[in-house]
Amino acid sequence: MFFRLLPWEYGIRNLFRRPLRSGLTLLALTTVTLMVLVVVGFVRGLERSLAVSGDPRTVIVFSLGMGENLEYSSIPMGTTDLLAASTQGIQERYGRKYASPELYLGTKVRLSQDSPESLGLVRGLLPAALLVHRQVEIISGQWPQAGEVLVGRLAATKLGIAKQQLAVGSTLWFEGRSWRVCGTFSAGSGTFESELWCRLDDLQQTLKRQDLSLVAMTLGPTADFQDLNLFCKERIDLELQAIRQTDYFATLRKDYAPVRWLAWLVVSLIAGAGVFVGLNTMYGSVVGRIRELATLQTIGFSRRAAILSVVQEGTILAMTGALIASVIAYGLANGAAVRFTMGAFELQIDSLTLLIGNGIALCLGAGGALPPAMKIFRLSVVDGLKAV
Amino acid sequence: MPVIEVRDVTKQFMKGSETITPLRDANLEIERGEFVSLMGASGTGKSTLLNLIASIDRPTSGTIVVNGTDITRLSRSKLANWRAANIGYVFQTHNLVPVLTAYENIELPLLLLPLNRAERRKRVEIALGAVDLLDRANHYPRQLSGGQEQRVGIARAIVADPTVVVADEPTGDLDETTSSQILDLLQRLNRELGTTFLMVTHDPDAAAIAGRRLRLEQGRLVEVADHVPVPAALEVR
Repeated sequence: MFFRLLPWEYGIRNLFRRPLRSGLTLLALTTVTLMVLVVVGFVRGLERSLAVSGDPRTVIVFSLGMGENLEYSSIPMGTTDLLAASTQGIQERYGRKYASPELYLGTKVRLSQDSPESLGLVRGLLPAALLVHRQVEIISGQWPQAGEVLVGRLAATKLGIAKQQLAVGSTLWFEGRSWRVCGTFSAGSGTFESELWCRLDDLQQTLKRQDLSLVAMTLGPTADFQDLNLFCKERIDLELQAIRQTDYFATLRKDYAPVRWLAWLVVSLIAGAGVFVGLNTMYGSVVGRIRELATLQTIGFSRRAAILSVVQEGTILAMTGALIASVIAYGLANGAAVRFTMGAFELQIDSLTLLIGNGIALCLGAGGALPPAMKIFRLSVVDGLKAV
Repeated sequence: MPVIEVRDVTKQFMKGSETITPLRDANLEIERGEFVSLMGASGTGKSTLLNLIASIDRPTSGTIVVNGTDITRLSRSKLANWRAANIGYVFQTHNLVPVLTAYENIELPLLLLPLNRAERRKRVEIALGAVDLLDRANHYPRQLSGGQEQRVGIARAIVADPTVVVADEPTGDLDETTSSQILDLLQRLNRELGTTFLMVTHDPDAAAIAGRRLRLEQGRLVEVADHVPVPAALEVR
């Protein structure tokens, strides 16, 4: 049923009635919302990193029974030519097939021989890799020559070092030799961005290996993945398996589900703490104003109007905190690089993250104010007028 | 036709395991434009009757008809709307909203009526003028004296031109001089506006300004004769 609301100014000015209390609550709600935004930004960044890494037209062929551990995969060097010759419909341009033989490993990387080491992801490739991994773009420097390495945009984060330490011309140490940084590449925020890319032959010589980890191939519009899949299954002797790149990263996303759940649990715990902050403030606010709220009801304002006014106060406080937190999160946390086992990714404070963060803040404000507001419902107007 | 008709009203409530009956079969009729004072010792049910007529409390039995409406039959939400249009309430402790100015406090009842901003402004200014506080319109309650606060409270009670103004010990919180000014004001407003006033007081001097005086004794209303002084012992809290 229609009812008249209390004046908007009433709710606003009530927030300034106890400035210290309101200020502290605002600080707490801002912190809570900021933490929620960062955690949601973490989840969104991780998911996006894995989601954009796959190309639906690209297929990865690697050793049978390796699960998704490409580092342990070992296939003969000749597999690329064999697959290219045996599979119909591989994308081709000027007679060059979109097939990229790759050697991939996780190894200890250092800035110099005596500096602390950290785990880096190294991939040896041919220039054909740029045909297959279409999202990759060299943003500075050039394709590596012998003894050179092209570093991903987030490789420094993965290695736990400053970005400047991987500037073009600087030196890295891994697998017992030094490598000169020859350039930087981006990969549309995909997982490749945390890798170090060098020439395939260079890496094979360094590792004294002649095999590959995988072959990545881009299928043409008329090609059928099942043909390649069937080929791998029929040629038992080759011990190969094929998987679409998107499916491969979808599997990885599933593996990170516990991380996501943990993150949401953290969001719930933080939000729970925020509700108590709101409850505490609004209880204080309502208890000190019982007679005033009863007076407003005596004048003719309905209980619902009084309750809504209290909820409005909590909501205004929470949304102010959310606005401040959103500005801070967008300004400081958006794009901040985070290291994880698969590489590195950037926190993503995008519209959805802001929507979730602000939605939770709205619930904190309204949810925190509702139980104290219901106190008005339980008390008769006459008893309210007698309240001290 | 009386503007207020209280018929066989009984009010009971529980205090622990004890049943308290402040009003027992009370009957009262007040004509439009009357100024009625209601006296009685503490706990005799004066404020209870006032609150029942103001529709912020409900009787255990009996009916109360105000301005032709049986308010005992109205739902809570309908009562709130009805109250906004028909009742002005003057409190002992002024009960102004501290975060609103005198103007905004007085404007509150008008927000419940279908009036535009200009109409509200006009009415608030008239009410402020009636209580001689036009120069204090933008002051907050903390910037006003006790007497000024009560005048704002009175202006808030009359601004919507209600059928009845009820006043619960309106001078109970004020010094003698200010009390006298407030009583004069109430009397003048009753005379000039023609609004019905029902005032609860334990002060015989305050009660004397009313055209008709009633006393509550053992839950029943008794008319006080014009020249019979109220026994002081009964009135002392």
